Amino acid sequence: MNVTELYLFYYPPTHLRLTIPNEKSYITVKPTWSAPLSQPGRYLALLDGNGEEIVLLTDPKVLSPASLKAVQAELRRNYLTAIILRINNVREEFGVTYWDVETDRGQRQFITQNLQENAQRLNDDHLLLLDVDNCRFEIPSIAALDDYSQKIVLRLV
Amino acid sequence: MYKTETMEEPIPPEIFISLDADYDEDGRYGRQTLEVTAAEVRVRENNDVVSFRIPLQEIKAARNEPLIGGGRLEITTTSNELLPVVTYSLQVAGMFSEAARGIEQLAKGETLSINLKKERTHCQKCNRLLPEKNGICPNCINRTKTLWRVANYLSPYKWRAVALALLAILTTIVNLAPPRIQGMLIDHVLTPHRNLSMLWLLMAFWLGALAINIGLQVLSGTLTAYLGAHLSADLRTDIFRAIEWLQISYFDKKPIGAITSRVTQDTDLVWQFLTQCVPFLLSNTLLLIGIALLIFSINVPLALCILAPIPVIAILSGFSWKRIDVLSHRLSQKWARFHTNLNETLSGIKVVKAFAQEDFEHNRFLKSNHELRDSGVKIDTYWLKIFGVMSFFIGLGSLINWTIGGYMVYVKQISLGDFWQIQAYLGLLYGPIQWFATVNNWFSRAMAGAERVFEVIDSEPELYGETQETAVEINGDVTLENVRFGYDKSNPVLENINITARPGEMIGLVGKSGAGKSTTISLLCRFHEPDAGVIKIDGMDYRDIPLQELRRQVGLVLQEPFLFNGTIAENISYGKPDAAFEDIIAAAKDANAHQFILDKPDGYDTLVGERGAQLSGGERQRISIARAILHNPRILILDEATSAVDVETEKQMQEAIGRLIKGRTTFAIAHRLATLRHATRLIVLDKGQIVETGTHAELMDRQGIFYNLVKTQSEINEIIEAENFIFQS
Repeated sequence: MNVTELYLFYYPPTHLRLTIPNEKSYITVKPTWSAPLSQPGRYLALLDGNGEEIVLLTDPKVLSPASLKAVQAELRRNYLTAIILRINNVREEFGVTYWDVETDRGQRQFITQNLQENAQRLNDDHLLLLDVDNCRFEIPSIAALDDYSQKIVLRLV
Repeated sequence: MYKTETMEEPIPPEIFISLDADYDEDGRYGRQTLEVTAAEVRVRENNDVVSFRIPLQEIKAARNEPLIGGGRLEITTTSNELLPVVTYSLQVAGMFSEAARGIEQLAKGETLSINLKKERTHCQKCNRLLPEKNGICPNCINRTKTLWRVANYLSPYKWRAVALALLAILTTIVNLAPPRIQGMLIDHVLTPHRNLSMLWLLMAFWLGALAINIGLQVLSGTLTAYLGAHLSADLRTDIFRAIEWLQISYFDKKPIGAITSRVTQDTDLVWQFLTQCVPFLLSNTLLLIGIALLIFSINVPLALCILAPIPVIAILSGFSWKRIDVLSHRLSQKWARFHTNLNETLSGIKVVKAFAQEDFEHNRFLKSNHELRDSGVKIDTYWLKIFGVMSFFIGLGSLINWTIGGYMVYVKQISLGDFWQIQAYLGLLYGPIQWFATVNNWFSRAMAGAERVFEVIDSEPELYGETQETAVEINGDVTLENVRFGYDKSNPVLENINITARPGEMIGLVGKSGAGKSTTISLLCRFHEPDAGVIKIDGMDYRDIPLQELRRQVGLVLQEPFLFNGTIAENISYGKPDAAFEDIIAAAKDANAHQFILDKPDGYDTLVGERGAQLSGGERQRISIARAILHNPRILILDEATSAVDVETEKQMQEAIGRLIKGRTTFAIAHRLATLRHATRLIVLDKGQIVETGTHAELMDRQGIFYNLVKTQSEINEIIEAENFIFQS
């Protein structure tokens, strides 16, 4: 299969489809990251309506720009992890940490409990926080944060 | 016409369901309101504009589509079009899942019957987000309450505590005597160079004070040790008891190491606080008050100057305690993580060795060990910095006394004896002040530990119901009616489950992995309760049967049996500790275990080791069956009981199980479908729903899902047998 020829598009506007030229079409496609935490941006599986894999893309950037855009939109719809851009305020009290952050989805307040048990350090620079409802907040690069936010993260975790 | 339960705010009569989703249509945090009326489902944006609307009669189905970190409400129309409606986070996913059911009910013209409990997410007092919905606000719990709660553990020992307090008062009085004696000696004997007999008298008093002090300290120490050890043992008992009663879902969420850490490490912090901190706090508080009073009685202006640094120390202490509290909690959590990692590695040591991953595990251990170390260094360093500053101000007192007091002696405003008394009392004062500075540190760590302990004790236990004076006997008629269940309430793993079983019947549960077989078993054991529908035993909702009574009459044989570190006899009689030895032997014989037990040098007294490590898999399984036989349950649950053993052992176990199930209501899961050939009825599960029901022969004739499962298994077995034949030849 020549993955560069895969054509992903929305029809109707809320439904992602896939056409493999001269082969077949899938009316329901679900893109799923195989290892979203340890291999970010790589190993994207395209699943059909039954949850079976159609193709595994080692690097999704090989897709055409239009297809890539469609896949990225669908991933954003299905993966509700928020990327923390800035930490406005953090308060630790009695084992509970109250966060007020700016994310790529807007401002959010959330709570983590027993932070040492619920913060996943994926590598030295990459952090995943799970709040008390298991909602996910990711810091892909602590070093890329502003100084104030970096200081807070390094102090807490 | 309709009913909804426990809606907190009044809803306009025409809207049956109104829920706020916390994402907007662009996937950003925002708000969209789902409204369901008698006529339609609609979505209202933040600006009150209706962005989506669909009449109920065009709706075929509604569901929650689970997403990563949230969910999406989707509607299937009567023309089979799939429409996304709203997106929401996990914070509210449970309610939207319930709303989806409500939409389906209304679309089908049924009575609306859902449970939309509005949960309290913010504290009513301070409006902070709550760590747990409907839970306690940690900001509004005050430390004094935790301290009182710890202090309440003293109630059984209150007279000893009163005795300790009295001893503290006496100790203080005795400790205050020597400087007074010294002052009198200087002023009345040494300076005027007379009253030599007074010297001997004062020395005798001093000797007496020393002797009494020693006696009081020994008594006090003994009492402190007694109280501290008993109190922390009581705390450990309470937390262990609370852990035993906790819901299974608690253990799904927390690693065992984190729970163990609370029983050991955190109670130990409280113990240390009680044995090392509280006694000194008590006696030093009294000493401080006594010294202050005595110094003031000698000379007020000098006393004011000497004691001036104390408020500074108090302010420093006030500023630092919050930071120390944060660091203490962090340290406790690091300990929990350390315990978890250690527990995991030691439990899986065979796997570690089999894969030669000792170095990998060592590095992992180093990481958590170093994190623990660094956390300890951080708190101790911070504390020592604060303590250093405090020590400076403490030391100032003596300097002030020599400066101002020395001048006062020079100008004869105070006597040399009085000056000496003050200097001696200052020496006694430094001790209490230093301890007060240390108390902050101890207190913070102990309260952090106590709060983690009480977090467990306060967690919701299983609902055990009222204990009954007479044992509840059940026949074993089991009915599951319209049962629905999900570990995540927004994502059911079982739906529309209807099963009936009579005493003496064996019901086989079959299906692919993840179909819901083990979940069904878990519900039958009441490790979890259905989210909807009811499970009845003898016509009665099983939630109305006291939990321990129910579990006494349900026997469980697991695929991987868990044996405790005791003898074979103790393990067989675990469910019936007062069983006669003859009964133990009879149960072992029925389980085809008697022979291999007698082969052991110590027979029934053989120690099985931790988790039964000294026995083979088949031996452990047969002891587990003997345990179930002796337990004599009315309802028996076999969860893949024979899947982990060889064919020969399985034959023996099948015989044993055959004896075990006679006259009992049995539910069995088996991957080897041939073992369910004689089941009264087979229930085939697929994606959490019952898809086929019938006897083995009926389902084979039907050539449906069960037939395909059997066919696939037969083909695999043929391949395996062929490979074995080739290998052997």
